Amino acid sequence: MGRAETASDGDVVRAVLAGDVEQFAVLVRRYRDRYARYAAHMLGSVDAAEDAIQDALIRAFDQLRQCREPDRFAGWFFLILRNRCFAERRRGSREPRPLEDAQEVAATSLDGPDGAVERIERRRALERALLVLTPEQREVFVLKHVEGLPYDEIAQRTGATVASLKMRMHRAYDRLRDELEEHR
Amino acid sequence: MTREFHPLVKRVLDGELALGDLPLELRPECEEALRLLAALDRTPLTLSPALDARVMATVRHRAASPATGRESFRAGRVWRWMSAPRQVEIRLRVRPWAVGALAAAAVLAALVLGRPSAPPVGGGAVAAFGSTRAGVLVRFVLYAPGAHRVAIAGTFNQWDREATPLAPAGASGVWTTTLALPPGQHQYAFVVDGDRWVPDPAAPAVDDGFGRRNSLVAVPGARTL
Repeated sequence: MGRAETASDGDVVRAVLAGDVEQFAVLVRRYRDRYARYAAHMLGSVDAAEDAIQDALIRAFDQLRQCREPDRFAGWFFLILRNRCFAERRRGSREPRPLEDAQEVAATSLDGPDGAVERIERRRALERALLVLTPEQREVFVLKHVEGLPYDEIAQRTGATVASLKMRMHRAYDRLRDELEEHR
Repeated sequence: MTREFHPLVKRVLDGELALGDLPLELRPECEEALRLLAALDRTPLTLSPALDARVMATVRHRAASPATGRESFRAGRVWRWMSAPRQVEIRLRVRPWAVGALAAAAVLAALVLGRPSAPPVGGGAVAAFGSTRAGVLVRFVLYAPGAHRVAIAGTFNQWDREATPLAPAGASGVWTTTLALPPGQHQYAFVVDGDRWVPDPAAPAVDDGFGRRNSLVAVPGARTL
């Protein structure tokens, strides 16, 4: 592993700002997949997630001078990606659709047929239901139940209070239940 | 009509209670909710390997193209060159309007100094008043009585909160520094005691996109002075 790969985010950001543009590739490798699952659940497709991550990385480069705390690049980059995901959902520029099931097919063959189809159906139904949530509801649901973050960390990342996050989440639970009942 | 989960069931989903904490009559509803969560896809996602190449191609293109206003790395080079120790010949070429700006800054400083009941931090001022080969001289002033350290961080020094300290003007609470900045627009903020970000109250501000305010100074081309 090269020295650049083990350098802190802060050191890499400072190197890029000092003119070593190629060092930005370290940040690309470091963050390209870290928030991919979040983006995919927020936008409803892997393709849209890839576009969003690509745009967010380029925007991060463009605005790197505004990154006040280079050692906290991860949180700063997350906010850029988050803004991008919210903007796309609000624009409605792309019809959201449930995540593709390439990985589910693999899971079926590994797990055997018992219950696998039912699990896949349940998963698809849930992904469809997630699309009816508001971006704010969906975000808190994804960060807590997909990414496994506690409420206080979600609050730190998003700037919302824990109380308002819980309110969003509880509305999301009810809305998901409603949606799943309707399509049962 | 919306079928709402019982509040206790929601607390189980939130991880605050266990299924066994619920009364028996709520457990079937809770088991249904937990099955819902169990169906979630938590598989880590790996994006296309071509993503890295696409991003870096764009980044290289932007870094190489002039006059985009996005040249973070070039600003870094300019700042390092500007901040390297060297003998600088300061050639003040004062124009009538620059005298006015300087006078305004002096008046503001006098007002600030003569205001003992001023708030803990305030009274900032920026005035362009001369130029060097390195850029236009810009004076930054912050009234921060009680502060132990004041620095300025901005796009011109990669937001380094240690690199550019202000000097106290005696015990007046006024802190100042003068920087040679290249023409263009610069964002900045004062850093009081190492961790308190304070926008310049006397300068226009812009949202940095993440809920904080950055002050703005537009430095005209050196030739206009």
